[in-house]
Formats: sequence, structure tokens, C-alpha cells
Amino acid sequence: MFTRREPKIDDQELAHIPGAEPQNRIDVWWWLVALVAGIIIILAVAMPDPYWRIILFVRDGITITVLITVVSFIFMLFVGMLGGLGRISKNRAFNLITTLYVELVRGVPLLVQLIWWYFAFPVVIQQIGRWTGISFMATYRANAIVLAIFGFTFCYGAYMSEIFRAGIQSIPKGQMEAARSLGMSYFQAMRHVILPQAIRVILPPVGNEFISLLKDSSLVSAVALADLTRRGREFMAVNFNPIEVWTMIALLYLVMTLFSARIVNWIERRTKFER
Amino acid sequence: MESIIYLEDVHKRFGRVHALRGVNLRIQKGEVLVIVGPSGSGKSTLLRCINQLEQCTSGKVTVDGICLDSAQNINAVRQEIGMVFQSFNLFAHLTVLDNLVLAQKVVRRRKKEESRQIALDLLKKVGIPEKAHAYPSHLSGGQQQRVAIARALAMNPRIMLFDEPTSALDPEMIKEVLDVMLALAKEGMTMVVVSHEMGFARAAANRIIFMDEGQILEEAPPDVLFTSPKHERTKLFLSKVLQS
Repeated sequence: MFTRREPKIDDQELAHIPGAEPQNRIDVWWWLVALVAGIIIILAVAMPDPYWRIILFVRDGITITVLITVVSFIFMLFVGMLGGLGRISKNRAFNLITTLYVELVRGVPLLVQLIWWYFAFPVVIQQIGRWTGISFMATYRANAIVLAIFGFTFCYGAYMSEIFRAGIQSIPKGQMEAARSLGMSYFQAMRHVILPQAIRVILPPVGNEFISLLKDSSLVSAVALADLTRRGREFMAVNFNPIEVWTMIALLYLVMTLFSARIVNWIERRTKFER
Repeated sequence: MESIIYLEDVHKRFGRVHALRGVNLRIQKGEVLVIVGPSGSGKSTLLRCINQLEQCTSGKVTVDGICLDSAQNINAVRQEIGMVFQSFNLFAHLTVLDNLVLAQKVVRRRKKEESRQIALDLLKKVGIPEKAHAYPSHLSGGQQQRVAIARALAMNPRIMLFDEPTSALDPEMIKEVLDVMLALAKEGMTMVVVSHEMGFARAAANRIIFMDEGQILEEAPPDVLFTSPKHERTKLFLSKVLQS
């Protein structure tokens, strides 16, 4: 007589399956965020001159950078959704306009676009105002922040449209058919069935867009906006200490991007579902 | 008997493929109709033309006295027609309960409590009340298909369409789905079923239609069609299907 041995499952013996890790473990990359933040604090405390002075000086630049990034990002989500819906729309006009928009915008460098919106666009408005005699257009003055946000939204909205299009198209056709067969209209099906699933699919690329936007926002220093980069340049012009200034600016950008990446990762894991 | 579905000379073309070539069909209220035929014969297309998931190229489809020619009519009629798909198509981001509640809320505008109660009752009816809060990916194929049937029933449809409901299932799960369908047929639901389940056809169908190359080749009650098919093509097909 023999007894059958219960197979023992040892955690160590189980094959490692990517993506099957326990969900609630603290994300180890937070340590990197802490490390960079720590370096900034150590530098500021150990050598207040120049590091603490730099931070104080560029503080309002950080505000501008964050403001432009966050506001543009919110607008570009709407533009992206609209553009994405247009790209898959059967309505010829809607489809043509959005496709044209995406193709044109993606073909022009972001810096050139920003410069165009800031320097050329106001003149165009003024010209039109003069021809038509509408006075508030003729005396239009460029608002740097508004035009920067507009420029970013316009440019990134095109990339975002493609992300939304791909995300929506990645949802199996049967989901739409099932929703329609239950009597939902196209928009009801989009809103309640397709988009909630598509958003989870596009979260990683959309998060990446946020991070590249944060970095690309430094381009506005070319159009007279006192963002983080520009404030750094101003500080350096007076004190002439490039190593300290640009190291500190780089660290400040780094801590913001690393932090954003962790937030994106956290949201991604919270909203995950199995297909 | 009044006919609830009426197809008149329906044609459907996909580019150069002529999928339906002049289909005429009347379906009575309470009738259970099973459509059989080789793959590519247009069975699924015909079914999808009834609720206009495919718009027919020409011809007239009338459901419940409403002619399907405008978008408004189509949405109205779709509420009356439940559809069950081969690949289940449950909403992957919602729990089983929410799958059943969503359309009731959005389309029928039922109150939350009411729609939940209807959903729970239906889950009991299809035999999986304990899975109400599970996600579709955690269910077996047979369970998913039963949820899909319940989801369609939650809209109180007058007609149910089944597009090969058991073809994607493991053999041991087919019965649980067919049992639900049989019960539904006994209750007097009007059903149009595309399926190769000849056992189901024999037990439940009032009439069987054999389709080939986009046309209805033959139609008869199951015992007649199974024992004495008229066409050679039907004989050949049945001999292959019934063998297995």
C-alpha cells in the first residue's frame, strides 16, 4: 500500500510569467523618483549658493511649465478623441478634415509650429481685422500662454488622434455589433462600450505623450514665455555658472517626468482588466 | 397566424461577392426556425439582415410591421430583436450583472433597481446567478454564452436571433446552452437559429431552411427534411452533418 503524495506547489518553482506579478506590490521605480528628489534636496541644503538660489529663481518657471503641460494635455484629450472618431468615421467630410489635419500637423516640426502661432498667427488676425474693419481683431495682441497652449494642443492633438484611432480599432468588432443589436445608437455604443475599453488600451501611449509634452514644453522658451528652461537661461546670463544651472534644471525636469511616469503606471494598473 | 418577420427579394453584395440572391421568407410569431447550410451559403448574412447589422443591397425587410429603411426604425426594431453571437461578445470591461443592466438603462431607460432585479432573475433562469459579479473573462464559454442570451432577453425582445451559438464551444458546454434555448422555444419565443445542432433542430424547430449559394433551396418541418430531402444538394449536406 502506498499513499499518494500531494503535489506541493512552491513559489520558487513556478515559472515566472511576465505580467502575472502580484498587483499590490510597491512599484520599485518609486525609489528612482525618491533618489532624484533626494539629490535635489541634498544639493539645495548642502550648497544653498547657488543651488537653492537657482530653485528660488526658477520657481515661477516651474509653475508655467506645469500649467502649460497640464492645460494643453486636457485640451488635447478632447481634440484627440474627436480626431480619432473622425479618422474612423464613415462621414466623408468629417473623415477628410481630420485626416488632413493629422497628416499636415505631423509633417511640421513642433518648434516651427509654436513660432508660427506666436509670431505669424497674430499678424494674420490683425490683417484680417484691418480688411474687414473688425476693430478687436485689428488690435489683437498675442498672449504667449494662450498661444503656447493652443500650439501644443494643435500639434499633440494630431498625434493623440492617431492613438485614439488605434485604440478604438483595437476593440473587437463584435463589441460594437453586440451593443448595436441591443438597440444602442452609435454614440451610445461608443460612450458605454467602446471608449471605456479603448481608454484602457491607450493609457500607456497617452501617458507617454504627457511625458513628452512635459519635456517639449521647454520649446516655449523660444517664444518669449518664462518657463523653467527660459528662467534657467536668465539665471545663467547673470551669474554665468552653466554647470550648476543646467544640472539643476535637468534634475528638476527629471523629477517631474519620473514622477509622472509612476502616476501613469499606477493608473494603468488600477484600471487593468482581463480580456 | 401573423408573420412577424417578412423578407422580400433580399439581395446582399459584398463588393463582388453576391452573398444573398433574392431571399423571400416569412416567419410566424412563435415559430422556431433553424437555418442550415454549408459555410458561405449566406446563413449568417441572412440573419444579420434581419436586424440590419448588414444592410441589404436591395429588397425589403419588415419586422413586426415596421419597414427597416431608416436609422430611426432600425434602432426601434433592434430593441425588439435579441441577438446571440458565435463569439459571445460580452462587454469585457463590465461585470456579468452590468452587461445585463447597461442596455436596459441606456436604451429602455429603466430604473437601476428594476433593471438589476430583471438581470438577477434572468441569471437565475439561465442557471448562473452566482456569477453576477464576475467578469466575462472568468467564465467558461458555455457560461458566457448563457450570459449573452440573458443579456439579450433583458430587453424583453419579441424575437431572438442565434448566429451559430454553440460553434465556439467545447463539446461538453454545448448542452447547457442548448437547454436554455430549448426552454426559450417552449415558452413560445420567436427564434431564428443558424446552427448545425441537428438534435436541437429536431427537438425545437417548427421549420428548417436549407440554404446554398445565397438562396433558400428547400424548407420543410424537421422530420420531413431529415427523412426525405428533395434536392440532391440537401441530401449530400445532411448525410455529412447527420453522420457525425
